Amino acid sequence: MNAVTIRVTLAAAGLITCAVLGRSQVTYDRILKAAEEPQNWLTYSGDYKSWRYSKLEQINPSNAGNLGLQWAFQSADLGQFETTALVIDGVLYGTGQDNRAFALDARTGRAIWRYQRRLPDKVQACCGMVNRGFAALGEHLFMATLDGHVLALDMKTGNVIWDVEAADYRQAYVFTVAPLVVKDKIIVGVAGGEYGVRGFIDAYYAESGKRAWRFYTVPGPGDPGHETWAGDSWKTGGAPAWITGSYDPELNLIYWPTGNPSPSNNGLERGGDNLYSNSMLALDADTGKLKWHFQFTPHDLHDYDSTQIPVLLDAPWQGQPRKLLLHANRNGFLYVLDRTNGTFLSAKPFFSRLNWAKEIGPDGRPVVMPGSDPTLEGTRTCPGALGATNWFSPSYSPQTGLLYVAAAEECDVFTNAPQKYHEGHDFMGSVYVPASGEKAWGALRAFDPFTGEKKWEFKYFTPPNGGSLSTAGGVVFAGDSDGNFVALDARSGKDLWHIQLGAAIYSSPMTYALDGKQYVVIPAGAALFAFALP
Amino acid sequence: MATSLSIRLMIRIGSVCIVTWTTLALGQDKEIKNPLTGDPSAIQEGSSLFRANCSPCHGLNAGGGGRGPDLRTGLWVHGPSDAAIFRTISEGVPGTEMPANPFEDSEIWALIAYLRSVSAGTKTPVAGDLAQGERLFFGQGACAQCHMVKGRGGRLGPDLTRVGAARSVAYLTESIRDPDKDLSLAPLDPNNHYGIPAAYDTVTAVTLAGERVIGVAKNEDAFSLQLLGQDQKLNLFLKKDLREVIHERRSLMPAYTESRLSNQELQNLLAYLTSLRGE
Repeated sequence: MNAVTIRVTLAAAGLITCAVLGRSQVTYDRILKAAEEPQNWLTYSGDYKSWRYSKLEQINPSNAGNLGLQWAFQSADLGQFETTALVIDGVLYGTGQDNRAFALDARTGRAIWRYQRRLPDKVQACCGMVNRGFAALGEHLFMATLDGHVLALDMKTGNVIWDVEAADYRQAYVFTVAPLVVKDKIIVGVAGGEYGVRGFIDAYYAESGKRAWRFYTVPGPGDPGHETWAGDSWKTGGAPAWITGSYDPELNLIYWPTGNPSPSNNGLERGGDNLYSNSMLALDADTGKLKWHFQFTPHDLHDYDSTQIPVLLDAPWQGQPRKLLLHANRNGFLYVLDRTNGTFLSAKPFFSRLNWAKEIGPDGRPVVMPGSDPTLEGTRTCPGALGATNWFSPSYSPQTGLLYVAAAEECDVFTNAPQKYHEGHDFMGSVYVPASGEKAWGALRAFDPFTGEKKWEFKYFTPPNGGSLSTAGGVVFAGDSDGNFVALDARSGKDLWHIQLGAAIYSSPMTYALDGKQYVVIPAGAALFAFALP
Repeated sequence: MATSLSIRLMIRIGSVCIVTWTTLALGQDKEIKNPLTGDPSAIQEGSSLFRANCSPCHGLNAGGGGRGPDLRTGLWVHGPSDAAIFRTISEGVPGTEMPANPFEDSEIWALIAYLRSVSAGTKTPVAGDLAQGERLFFGQGACAQCHMVKGRGGRLGPDLTRVGAARSVAYLTESIRDPDKDLSLAPLDPNNHYGIPAAYDTVTAVTLAGERVIGVAKNEDAFSLQLLGQDQKLNLFLKKDLREVIHERRSLMPAYTESRLSNQELQNLLAYLTSLRGE
């Protein structure tokens, strides 16, 4: 740690721990208490509870109108820039498109190093050559790559410390996820649900890169849940795990959501519930053993991945203190589960035109509407395949008690057609198109998570691809698909400030502090932008 | 998985295209025939591939979409032979929105087998007087008040310079007689890889003073509206200065019913429009 870093850290927020000054830059203990050092951003969702909430309060509703650009960084690659940067003691670490990564001086945006792992030909990533960010432990950063590798990089240089192949990209196994550090391990989940992969969640020892455990999200012969796949359909069953999970250190459980069964729009060959697609998995952090599971959308035909961030909250539920898990799901329902055992507590719709299910029954299973299955000529179903929300992060503010969710109001016409499986090729069982004559739109919505009551919404002209950040200053930051980055009053949703960034926002904001100044960071197009008060 | 099909398509477009030796060879040998013509399982596979990869622009059943032409007309603008269509699919068409596509050869042959199965065969010309149709277009029909052909005409409606290569006679007839009927939705393209998609539904901006400006939106978001008015002037509004923005699923184009445009005049106009291939 150099002198500049120490000075910066001292200046920021006044929250210094001994760990900062030690040799290891990021200890597990620091990540456990990440919320207590808001000048930094140590893990993808801000902390293990995945609130994407910061105790920084310099920017507030009365001054947010004065926000201005501090610096911009060009990743040199257009497309979807999905990273959530980490900030550790004055240095910002991010990943970019096409296996890129970088470290920046967080005060100036000047690059300290750049890294790119060259992409082999024919990498199949359904939805962009994207990456959502690093995890950090000790003096290393961890990145999962599009070509199926997991890497450890040196924080100061970007040098590769270790490099392991998790799976074969030629079979369309790719990584887009930001890893999660738990104790001495790096947790990643694979993508490839459009190509008939067999999904998995892996843990690697941070020190060596040796694999500690793997959990297959599609059970093999002899394993519980295997009977929920007809014939050999499990072999190409999908259920990818491409969004970062949450962690409860007391229960020692990792909560990791999974995506759609393959092929997504055609279920004829995969009769059964198709476990553990579209589920929340609670895995023992040390062994990867399944403690419990909850499947949101059994035998899905509409690409309703459940790859949305699980938000952990300890709060009274019907008068009893409970360890809760909140999940605004792509299928249009906001779920509350007991995270000790997966007990279903409630599910309320947060999408106005929902028509695939009447409700979620008392057993937690959807009461599916007849006639909502895809057909050759198409069935109009709401939400559309983009979902009522998607992978971008929700935010929970303990100050307002509200859960902020970016929602899409879109219906699609889902068609299906038989499709043969070819290794490494599209395997979707046909296609969905926007419902004719219906203008799709979106909104950032604030919910009471216990009642599902909508407190306010801020309308977007088009469905969003960006999530939200809430802060102790009483401000919610969010980005829309029309390129607007907005600051809203966390209590009312009032627009306090906005700026046009020139390209759709495909990420969720983060914040940090340096020299007594609070920064808010968002990527758009090829650039990462940092805003602060003058 | 994550995002919409149109985004998937753009990724495909954006990925590195390997022009294989076979493809290059095909460019030199126009006699190569599709080995899968008429094969039912190839047609089925081609249909599925088409839906997953081509339909966002060309429509679900190849009947044309907001961005790509109708492929059932029998009019193969970039060459009608199997080899030429193969090249169009694999290499794209420079100067148009048709990208190169990194399919395997067998997949392209399956796609061509499917397209042949839905195509009308040889194109028959429309029985009308092309010169009369052109006079009508620029004269009493007043089409050119809003539509442009090769730089000549108005700006409010779509440029029709290539419309004869892109749309079937049935589609053109419907668009003239009943323009509200198939007001194509602009495909989702949040990153504007191809520029802002054209949409022609009617948008009315109501100012705080109550003034109504009617036109087509060139772009819009939560905070602003770029509206080309019926007078073909650009209006650049901030939404905070507007009382309301009204979207209607109707075209600003009047319906050219028989009382306005006789069947013979329609045939003449169609003869002109189908001749427009951007050549």
